[in-house]
Amino acid sequence: MKAADVKVSVFGVRHLSPGGACHLLDYLDRIKPTAVLIEGPSDASGMIGDLVQPTTVPPVAVLAFTDEMPVRTALWPFAVYSPELQAMRWASKRGALCQLIDLPSGAALALQHLRRGDSEDRGGRRETDEAEPAEEAEPAANASPNAAAEPEGAEELEAGEVSRSIYERIAELAGEHDYETYWERHYEHNANPDAYRDSILAFSAQMRELGEERERSEQPEEHAYNYVREAYMRRQILKVIEAGHDPAKIVVVCGAYHAAVLENPLEGAMTDAEFEALPSRSSKLTLMPYSYYRLSSLSGYGAGNNAPHYYQMMWEAMESGNPDELPRLYLSTAARTLRASGTHRSTAEVIEAVRLAEGLASLHGGSAPTLLELRDAAQTLLGRGELSVVAEALVRVDVGTEIGSLAEGVSQTPLQDDLNRELKRLKLTKYKTAVAADLSLDLRENRRVSSQEAAYLDLNRSFLFHRLELLEIPFVRSRQAGPERAVWAEDWIVQWTPEAEIRVVESTLLGETIEIACAHRLREKLEACTSIAEASALIDTAVRCGMTAQMEDGRRVLQSLAADSRDTAQISAAAARLSGIVAYGDIRRADTAPLVPLLEQLFFRGCLYLSDAANCSDEAAYGMIAAMSDLNKIAQEHDDAVDTALWSRELSELSERDDRNPKLSGFACALLLERGEMSAEQCAAEVSRRLSPGIPSDLGAGWFEGLSMRNRYALLSRMSLWSQLNEYINSLDDDEFKRALVFLRRAFSSFSAHEKTMIAETMGELWGVNAEQAAEILTGDLKGEEDKMLDELNDFDFGDF
Amino acid sequence: MAAAKTKEQDAMRLPAELLYQQEIEALKKEDKGVVPPGWQMSPKAVLTYITGGKAGKLDITPKYIGNRRLVEMAIATLVTDRALLLIGEPGTAKSWLSENLTAAVSGNSGLVVQGTAGTSEEQVRYSWNYAMLLANGPTPEALVRSPIMRAMEGGSVARFEEISRCASEVQDALISILSEKTVSVPELGSETSARKGFSIIATANTRDRGVNEMSAALKRRFNIIVLPAPSDLETELSIVKKRVGEIAASYQLQAAPPADEALLKVVTIFRELRSGMTLDRKEKLKSPGGVISTAEAISLLTNSMALAASFGSGEMTDEDLAAGLQGAIVKDDDKDKLVWKEYLDNVMKKRGSEWRGLYQACREMNE
Repeated sequence: MKAADVKVSVFGVRHLSPGGACHLLDYLDRIKPTAVLIEGPSDASGMIGDLVQPTTVPPVAVLAFTDEMPVRTALWPFAVYSPELQAMRWASKRGALCQLIDLPSGAALALQHLRRGDSEDRGGRRETDEAEPAEEAEPAANASPNAAAEPEGAEELEAGEVSRSIYERIAELAGEHDYETYWERHYEHNANPDAYRDSILAFSAQMRELGEERERSEQPEEHAYNYVREAYMRRQILKVIEAGHDPAKIVVVCGAYHAAVLENPLEGAMTDAEFEALPSRSSKLTLMPYSYYRLSSLSGYGAGNNAPHYYQMMWEAMESGNPDELPRLYLSTAARTLRASGTHRSTAEVIEAVRLAEGLASLHGGSAPTLLELRDAAQTLLGRGELSVVAEALVRVDVGTEIGSLAEGVSQTPLQDDLNRELKRLKLTKYKTAVAADLSLDLRENRRVSSQEAAYLDLNRSFLFHRLELLEIPFVRSRQAGPERAVWAEDWIVQWTPEAEIRVVESTLLGETIEIACAHRLREKLEACTSIAEASALIDTAVRCGMTAQMEDGRRVLQSLAADSRDTAQISAAAARLSGIVAYGDIRRADTAPLVPLLEQLFFRGCLYLSDAANCSDEAAYGMIAAMSDLNKIAQEHDDAVDTALWSRELSELSERDDRNPKLSGFACALLLERGEMSAEQCAAEVSRRLSPGIPSDLGAGWFEGLSMRNRYALLSRMSLWSQLNEYINSLDDDEFKRALVFLRRAFSSFSAHEKTMIAETMGELWGVNAEQAAEILTGDLKGEEDKMLDELNDFDFGDF
Repeated sequence: MAAAKTKEQDAMRLPAELLYQQEIEALKKEDKGVVPPGWQMSPKAVLTYITGGKAGKLDITPKYIGNRRLVEMAIATLVTDRALLLIGEPGTAKSWLSENLTAAVSGNSGLVVQGTAGTSEEQVRYSWNYAMLLANGPTPEALVRSPIMRAMEGGSVARFEEISRCASEVQDALISILSEKTVSVPELGSETSARKGFSIIATANTRDRGVNEMSAALKRRFNIIVLPAPSDLETELSIVKKRVGEIAASYQLQAAPPADEALLKVVTIFRELRSGMTLDRKEKLKSPGGVISTAEAISLLTNSMALAASFGSGEMTDEDLAAGLQGAIVKDDDKDKLVWKEYLDNVMKKRGSEWRGLYQACREMNE
């Protein structure tokens, strides 16, 4: 074969370009190629059949991911107006060979990693030594597989800056506001046959001439990467020629930047030896639904398709042969969206907006308004000058909420299949959209339906959602349900995103089904967990996920951790969590019986260490109060299981001890009163003991503070208590009084106004003044003099406490 | 004729079509675009006139510096014979843009209705010469046409300044004019239809007290463009520099134009006080109650120049600037004074030696 013979037809495109798709189809119809070769990972060629199925609704993407840790991913998205996708459809309809010819995904992932500046390992670089230059600077197009999982490195940004300035200059020379508008006016709107292809070829050649040398020196990685890709593409083209296709009947569809160098595939094709030397990571491919939101630059995907839905409208208008319809369609859709959100705009305004947009276009000598001009017109007419009025509607029309879908059975990983099966089983398929929806679940058995499956539909949904949450698949977010329904209801926000799909694919490494993956994740977490709080949370998670076996694992872990713990606060928190699970577990149809012994055990330990733990600072006492409340609650709710007698004994002991934190002793006393285990006489005796003259005020008042934290009404009605308190305070000297004041103020601060009035009445009776007067004094505003006294108190030295 | 010429030269302020006569002539001569009916040059030439560029060998000075797309929208509006409403805070060059647009499009920026609370419907439509009306009854000779009616007859662009200051009823007189493009005179049994090229550019203020809300029906008949305060320091600097130079020339102020450094300081202070934030976005500031627009910065600097010329050395000093700043920022109440004081001590004082002189002067002035 002579070199002169081998000249294939190359059609350079922007990857998401309706104009390009349109011209490409015309071109294909004219050339009638027997082979259509497309820039894209060559190992994904087998997916072309799935991509062109009529049941596959774009936007969809080819996702490549490494099948071992650390997971790296790369994406090749396709919209309905992607020239590549249209070329695939054309080829499948005409029975032409259709192949993807870019580097296989494994190599692309490996090189992508190297390009990110791992300075030690630059295996791919050696090939550049004799290389011709190349540049990763297609006209703002997305040739490079974009990393899905992490943002592009700093290098790429710089590369962007260098090339951006070139593009800005082009736009400026053409008298346009930005490069996007320049592109739209000069490429997308260009209806002349061949103009698109020829100008891209010329553009590509000149661009390379301009920027190559600099890139070679400034961004050698980028440069080398492009070179390797082009060499590989040539190799693939040659293979197709060798397979017997006439070069004249081969059309290569590639990013604009590569267009100029692929026409003659013999020059610089990759040899077998070079191919062998390519670094590669073991990887898998799958198709996934994609979304316009993700495709737009709004979510950080700067591939130059800032308005996917707008371009889709453009494509549809072109396909139906009426590209002039676009401005009318765009502006009336915007107006309709505005009306739907309650801002009325008349048809007359839409008409004027179309006229204005066309006027703006003619100022630039354009044949049709560009997106920028349509937006300006919308702002002026529909927004009455204000962008804020129309901004939301415009984003909806520009970006759209479309989300792609795949034909059943097309998804390539077992986990994707499993999730789809689950969604179908639980009648959730309709929630797989890009629009967030609220979903309220009632976990109780639905007794009005006949089948078991239907009766627990919501519960099973809840299991699935919790499992997704555990796998960190961002499909659902939980929302706090109202307190009255917290036990049996759950509120969720459901929204599908491509990120969710990517996470699903990544989770494949954990297991083949959602359940297995969850089990794996739970086991990992349990192994890593070090505190009993974590362990009890994991048990909770296991119950919520409906995974009984893991609950048992969790129980074991918690038990072994608890055996070493002496921290009452932590133990009781874990016990409280368990108690919740035991009490409400049957709603989730979990057999919680195995947890009861553990609960018993935790409770027992909590009681045993109570007295020790109560020897603590005032600060730690807050945590202890919560712990004691928890334990008391457990004692009430599970009195059949736990040792309540022990609890009472421990409480009495703490209540009587003088060497523990007085607040906790007071609180223990309050709990005893509440439980009816302390008689009025005992209480009176205790009060008089605690509040007898001579007791330091921080002890006395601190105790009172603890006491007053529970069963207020019982206390309020006890006249004797107040007279004792009154006497005690009277007995304090000034200095002591000031100290006591601190505690008392804190104790009373949590009393409601009504409770304060009741105290006032009681005190009034004691002091023999009118109850109302007393109430006025206690609840009224402070007078200036009193303010001053309080100010003085603020200077009080708390150093002693 | 000669008398008219001297009169022109003595005018305090020349209308745009006379001030930039040369440029307009050059643009008309070099114009290769399609001229819409009733216009004197093509839309592209109007754009060049407003945003600057070249006409043959002549440099066209930019009249509106800032967002070029806004100007494009304004021109495209007039091409589609829609009325244009320019909205913005005081001092965002609304009237300036409207005057220059009419000057370029129709060559006559003098068909103006200046809206006030006292503007009546007659001033929008037509009124009568009552002596003639009484003597001869309603005749075409007794009819006094409003600037808008004259613009309709001539197919040119009329201006309606400060439309939001007029009473709502008066504003609404425009509704039928804008949709029917005719004014009927029932007394004469006739009606005046607008010739091609007729349009109205109205300006409205969003911030001042004493403005009337415009009805939705009227708003709907306008293409509305909101003119923003200059978007960045450089734009504002160049606007101020250019206008100060022009005004100084026309008033023949005998003072050196302000140094770039002084311009920078004034614009910086104005931008910071306007946005309530220092330029580096690190510190929050209080904004004074009044408007501190670019136009104020321009008049402040020309005032300071006049001060320097008349009572000083002719060289603008920090004291001259400080006096101007004091007047522009502290308008009516004591709160502004505190805001200014706070700014001086918290921001300006810490700005280093170049600002020291101005700081001292301002502080003394604000005592």
